Amino acid sequence: MAHQDDINLMAHLMRRAGFGAGRDEIETRVAKGYDATVEELLNPNTMPAVDPYVLLRHQPAALLPGGQPPMGNVNYMYYLVNTKRPLQEKMALFWHHVFATGNSKVDNYDQLLEQIDMFRNEGMGNYRDLLLKTAKNPTMLFWLDNNQNHGTAVNENWGRELLELFSLGAGNYTEVDVRECSRAFTGWTFETKIPRLPYGRFPWKFEYRPEDHDDGIKTFLGHTGNFNGEDIIDIIVTQPACAKFICRHLYNFFVADEAQVPAWPIDPPRDPDAVAAMAAVFRATKGDITSVLRTMFMSDFFKNARYKHLKSPAEVVVGTLRLMGGFEIPKPGYGELSMQPSYMGQDLLNPPSVEGWHTGAEWINSGALMSRINFVAEQVGNTDMPGVKSIVSRLKAQGSLAPEQMVNSCLDLLGPVEVGPDTMKELTDQVKEWGQVRWDTPANEQAAIKHTGELLQLIVATREYQFA
Amino acid sequence: MALTTVVKGRAYDWSHAIGRGAANGTGFNYPQTMCLGNDGDLYVANRGNENNFGMRVNRITVGGPGDEELLSEFCTYGETDGHGVWPFGVAVDKSNNVFVTDEWQNTVSVFDGDGKFIRKWGTTGSGPGQLKGPSGIVCESNGNVIVVDSGNDRLQVFSPDGKVLAQCGSSGSGDGEFNKPWGITLDKDSNIYVADWKNHRVQKLSPSGKYLSSIGEYGTIPAAPNAFAVTYLGPFVSSVPETEYPKAGVLNHPTDVAVDPDGDIYITDWGNHRVCIFDSEGNSLTHLVGDAQVMSKWGQQSCDANPDMMKAYRRVHSLEPMWRFCFPTAVDFNPKTNQIIVADSQRNRLQVYNKVTDYVDFQANL
Repeated sequence: MAHQDDINLMAHLMRRAGFGAGRDEIETRVAKGYDATVEELLNPNTMPAVDPYVLLRHQPAALLPGGQPPMGNVNYMYYLVNTKRPLQEKMALFWHHVFATGNSKVDNYDQLLEQIDMFRNEGMGNYRDLLLKTAKNPTMLFWLDNNQNHGTAVNENWGRELLELFSLGAGNYTEVDVRECSRAFTGWTFETKIPRLPYGRFPWKFEYRPEDHDDGIKTFLGHTGNFNGEDIIDIIVTQPACAKFICRHLYNFFVADEAQVPAWPIDPPRDPDAVAAMAAVFRATKGDITSVLRTMFMSDFFKNARYKHLKSPAEVVVGTLRLMGGFEIPKPGYGELSMQPSYMGQDLLNPPSVEGWHTGAEWINSGALMSRINFVAEQVGNTDMPGVKSIVSRLKAQGSLAPEQMVNSCLDLLGPVEVGPDTMKELTDQVKEWGQVRWDTPANEQAAIKHTGELLQLIVATREYQFA
Repeated sequence: MALTTVVKGRAYDWSHAIGRGAANGTGFNYPQTMCLGNDGDLYVANRGNENNFGMRVNRITVGGPGDEELLSEFCTYGETDGHGVWPFGVAVDKSNNVFVTDEWQNTVSVFDGDGKFIRKWGTTGSGPGQLKGPSGIVCESNGNVIVVDSGNDRLQVFSPDGKVLAQCGSSGSGDGEFNKPWGITLDKDSNIYVADWKNHRVQKLSPSGKYLSSIGEYGTIPAAPNAFAVTYLGPFVSSVPETEYPKAGVLNHPTDVAVDPDGDIYITDWGNHRVCIFDSEGNSLTHLVGDAQVMSKWGQQSCDANPDMMKAYRRVHSLEPMWRFCFPTAVDFNPKTNQIIVADSQRNRLQVYNKVTDYVDFQANL
């Protein structure tokens, strides 16, 4: 039988590097070992990809969903729920958060999905390559107006965000650098796409127009030359600030909640040594993201960071659906299901601005908290769900349970979730009202199953459950 | 591909496109299957989506270019009698009764030719007569219907009022076994053809359900260098010569099949974005990849009403991506008009080809 410490550590890894895991999967991974599990997560191609054809058979509108929700969200949610490459999908979500583009302006969910697919395929590779692909991605070009960045009339939107939010962070460049950077990206645009009427959406395609490019000499971050966009990216990725900025993002996303990005020039990292260690690997490997992730997941600072991260709405919803099971095949209502993160403050494929979402405690307000609790409670309270049945089966195998045992077992099987003494007392007091949990007669078993669902609902409504 | 393809005594000549994306009225919303009525009208089952809930069956005339008219719409979204949640298969009997399967509710609803609800049957399960994700459906000449009970990987034969009469098939990849089959058709001898979707083949069965033969094996068509992905799953369009076309016998999730009076077989090779054509012995003849170089009548109306669309069209480098099939789901052959009708699902239109059997070649030195 697996040691509880190993269970706890593996559950922590799967919550952060993926979207959580049920007890069967955690035990299988513990048997495999922590290091081996990290390697499997870091090598997603060893696991099967999501089958998009099953999605398109049942929900064909999820491929080219146009500008109205929810069919684009259905597509994304299907991948999130079904992936057997959880870290790959988590990294796609990470880059969606960093290189934030949104349907509010793009009005083409299909283009956003194509961008997510690029993050899926490239997000664990080399940062420089990813940044270049992002710079050529038509969705990004349109989102930040680079199609209006002309040799004779510079538009600085892309150039500014590239430096401020995508690579270096405020304070590590000057206004002149913004101007020169933007000049280097003049002529980077996209072909006119086939318009949406009458046959639906067609994709954009990157286009470089040399006649619209500013061929003059530029001086950027101390370098001078006739730079094009690719040269700018090469200069950016060698800046020490770049390694620190990206690694602080990774720390915030995977390890522990940081201050919001605009405060980074003022507030130092929560754990400067951790960010420095990751940044050193970033520089040594010339931006190999998988190497940085390996260093992070194998570190003590990661292993000791349990419950220091407030779950994002995507983590809440996807984690719950994966734990509950039964959502592998799209079904009617999947659209409403896939919009749940937006009701909690994270409208996937449509972040509030180029800055992405604010994280940590900012996920919580009274409305968002109620949405979280109501959604998860509805799921875990449904004792017909495969995930709840699995928990019930394990409880039943433990035999008759005293109230304290019942609470501990449910906390354990639902996470494990660690709660404080006050919460423990509240939960135990409630179960004491139900008395000893027994499975010996059909009536007792029926009551035990009912109370299991109710206790799970109480647990997911606790403050502690909101943390990963 | 050229607009006219000539191969082994046959010519396939692109005729016209019908439709546009529409949640109701003149257009389609992700057609899954279709069926010709006795009068040549076409019934199209639309999957719709959870934004516009455009699920429905529409009945249209086909005719020549620009002749199409919308006659009626029925089986719109809903769970009550006369409605559907996930309409999938559609079939028409000799009396013009229309049978529609509902993949989610596990039912078969029957309508008259004008779309008036008559009755429905079906319960969820795997027992005799029960259904699990029914997809294609076809009417036999004796009035019975064969339902592709896709989730149960079998075919079931029902009387017109829903009494189960027979079944064949089971889960697997062997002869007579199925893996999530989709469309179905009959040839003039009542042999049964089933698009065995996840087994990447079409199986031919005798009228009594005995396995006879199969066509196809799994394969994808590689994208040419520098090919342009019309969606991230294809089709891939490139100016580089398509050296891999046609790739005989290779199918990727085939969805439907049709057989013409000569015995030629048409298969919608969904994942490869084409229609493959085989002779009656299963030898590959050619394929069609979509050639909608002329806008459909209803599509043109949409553009005419939106000047910005017309402006944008004039700036597009190449319209080729618009001509091509994008996940074609269904194919029918009209023996009275020699028309091959293809449901070009992601483009919410039909593409119509004429099979020309007396094609006379043109003077070669023009």
